[in-house]
Amino acid sequence: MNRRAPKPISQGLVYLGISMLTVIVLYPVMVILKKAFEPGRNFATSVSPVPTEFSLEHFENLLSSANSSGDLLFLRYAWNSTLVALATTIVGLCLACTAAYALSRFRFAGRRFGIATFLAVQMFPGTLLLMPLYVILHKLGLLNSLLGLVLVYATTAIPFCVWTLKGYFDSLPKELEEAARLDGASSFKIFYMIMLPLAKPGLAVTGLFSFMTAWNEFILASTFLTDDSAYTLPVLLKSSVGQYSADWGLFAAGAILTSLPVMALFYFLQRYLVGGLTAGSVKG
Amino acid sequence: MRRNWWHAYALAGLVSVIVATAAFVSYRNAAFERRELGRATHAATSVSKGLRPMDNVVAAYLVSPAVPSEHYEFLRERSVTEADGSHRRLGGKNAGPFDKRIYDAANQYDKSGPFVQLVTDTDYVIAAQPASGGVAVAITTPPKGPEAFPWLVVLGLLVMGSLVCAAGTLVGGSARPLGLALGASGLAVPTFLWSGLVIALFLVACSMLIAWADWRGSLERAGRELRKGGIAYAFLTPTAMAMLVLVGIPFVVGLGLGFYNNNHGEWTFVGLDNFIQILSGDGRSLSDPLNFWFTLGVTVAWTAVNVVLHVSIGVALALVLRQRWLKGRHGFRMLLILPWAIPNYITALIWKGMFQFEYGAINSVLSTVGLDKVNWFSEWSTSFASNVATNTWLGFPFMMVVALGALENIPSDMYEAAEVDGASPWQRFHHITIPHLMPAMLPALALGAIWTFNMFNVIYLVSDGRPGGGTDILVTEAYRWAFERGERYGLAAAYATIIFLILILWTIIGSRLAKKDAE
Repeated sequence: MNRRAPKPISQGLVYLGISMLTVIVLYPVMVILKKAFEPGRNFATSVSPVPTEFSLEHFENLLSSANSSGDLLFLRYAWNSTLVALATTIVGLCLACTAAYALSRFRFAGRRFGIATFLAVQMFPGTLLLMPLYVILHKLGLLNSLLGLVLVYATTAIPFCVWTLKGYFDSLPKELEEAARLDGASSFKIFYMIMLPLAKPGLAVTGLFSFMTAWNEFILASTFLTDDSAYTLPVLLKSSVGQYSADWGLFAAGAILTSLPVMALFYFLQRYLVGGLTAGSVKG
Repeated sequence: MRRNWWHAYALAGLVSVIVATAAFVSYRNAAFERRELGRATHAATSVSKGLRPMDNVVAAYLVSPAVPSEHYEFLRERSVTEADGSHRRLGGKNAGPFDKRIYDAANQYDKSGPFVQLVTDTDYVIAAQPASGGVAVAITTPPKGPEAFPWLVVLGLLVMGSLVCAAGTLVGGSARPLGLALGASGLAVPTFLWSGLVIALFLVACSMLIAWADWRGSLERAGRELRKGGIAYAFLTPTAMAMLVLVGIPFVVGLGLGFYNNNHGEWTFVGLDNFIQILSGDGRSLSDPLNFWFTLGVTVAWTAVNVVLHVSIGVALALVLRQRWLKGRHGFRMLLILPWAIPNYITALIWKGMFQFEYGAINSVLSTVGLDKVNWFSEWSTSFASNVATNTWLGFPFMMVVALGALENIPSDMYEAAEVDGASPWQRFHHITIPHLMPAMLPALALGAIWTFNMFNVIYLVSDGRPGGGTDILVTEAYRWAFERGERYGLAAAYATIIFLILILWTIIGSRLAKKDAE
């Protein structure tokens, strides 16, 4: 199968099929690119994905639109998004790294239960907790606050970080720890002085993924944030193509600016993601 | 030799003290509130009868009914009777410090009758009672410093309990658990006075349980485990606490909310009503989109169609991309995983635009080819198909990447050996490729099914349930009950509970099947 190439005619069919699929995959992206650089509010005016006119007006509108008190909206929301995603990542990593290490290295009663719990919480979607979280945040007066949103995001970020970091600790060799233990180092010292520095790449990858997840989250943000000074970028993008007034040019420009950084990150990190996701489910 | 008796007693004592303290605090708060409310009511009643109120009353007046102001008709004035019998208008230049509260209280009395309430942020109690010629309003302040916690009682009972417990151990035999249970139940007596029978019985039950566990030696074993895994538990504690607060509490609250009904912020316990309403279909026919079973059917169909498409397209592409003769296969791979890289709410919004009737790209393509434009979201079938197209576009790359990873791990000499043995391409696929693919694809499939089952963004942003809620799946339906159909939070929470049970069931069945498959 691998060795001999098939007949030219079936090769041709394969090339045709895969090229068509690639076109289908690329077309919506091209349309959005075209829309971002072409004037006008409507979605598509022709089938061709190549812009007929070129202008940067959508980007200018997006970056210069301000609210009544003079805040630049896009920059403000980008700042909100960054703040929320960063805080979520830090909370997730700090709270997850010790537990991930314990689950990876120690054998103790309740370990299986712990692993199963983290796996279950990570698999089940945040939307199931949306209702009670809404009621609780309402009682605490944390609706419309970025702090509230960080707490909500942490509910999924912590189990995700525990799970992926555990996978990373599993892959580290045990010899160093054993040597340190023979030298009389305490467990906490071993974790702090040896394991954490060794796990830096794993921490970085896990942190970047939880940053991306928080950056891309839409439904919780749009439910909990109703005051337009607290919006994050996804809420802005959704509202730019609302039911009654849709500005697809603005949306396209915003979508490009919002997703370019995370797409770059994704391409950089994707090989780690698949390993983590499937390894987790196999061993669990 | 069993461990000292006081280990078990300390545990039982700790539980008792915690429960008894909670019982005492709630009892104290309730009694405090009752007493202060009673005092304020009494003051108001005294005023209404023309008597002077007692001390600790800040202000108590007979308030006249509201009359329109002389100068401005829209202003309504009230006056109060002072102690010397003179009348004074509330508010104005020489207003007292409590005039506004008194005025508001009189208004509230006119609206809803006699009342008494604790103003928690200011430590005042306000009462309004009917009186001849208006309403009697009294404001009192509770004395500072609530009743002290009865340390002596608790300590005494603990010491007495320890004596009983020690005596039981000395006698030995079955006197040991008896002594422990009796000694530890000591705090149940004051708890009974503070919070009633149920809590006290709960304490007794706890003591008996601990005594029994001690008798069986389970406590000792648990203690050994705890010591053995001590460091691990220390490492786990911060995370466990955070999970308990951030996930545990909302989860329990969510389960509880399902048994309540929310009416403009007022929660009433309705038992299983929400669940019955959902599972019985609420008297709607099976073809009604608001019927739970209709939505469940749509959700299952949605999940099945998507997973089948994702897996078949993904695996087919992986099989092709693996071929060495395919030129530019790394380039193809990079381009084909693009949909996975785009945030999925953006993908959903793009496809919503693509399916637009007037300016959507798909209708533009159709009319270029000479076909009629389609109103995608007016029919169930086309609307459903739009959702599926969107979700397939964004979902197949994950399956493709997983399959590619699994295929790369097949040693190529296996194929060579099979070829030498004269196996046909189909036989090689059937006996080598599929068995190697399955272990990686099964978990990916389970994960993909759960993701699709809950794919909120695509349904909510692309078809938005059109037509008439017909393409809604369970998660979007639950969301609409909470936030788009009159804040039926209780019903939405019950929906979430049912979704959770379905997912649990699916996970259990899935892992059973996987286990059977492995054997």
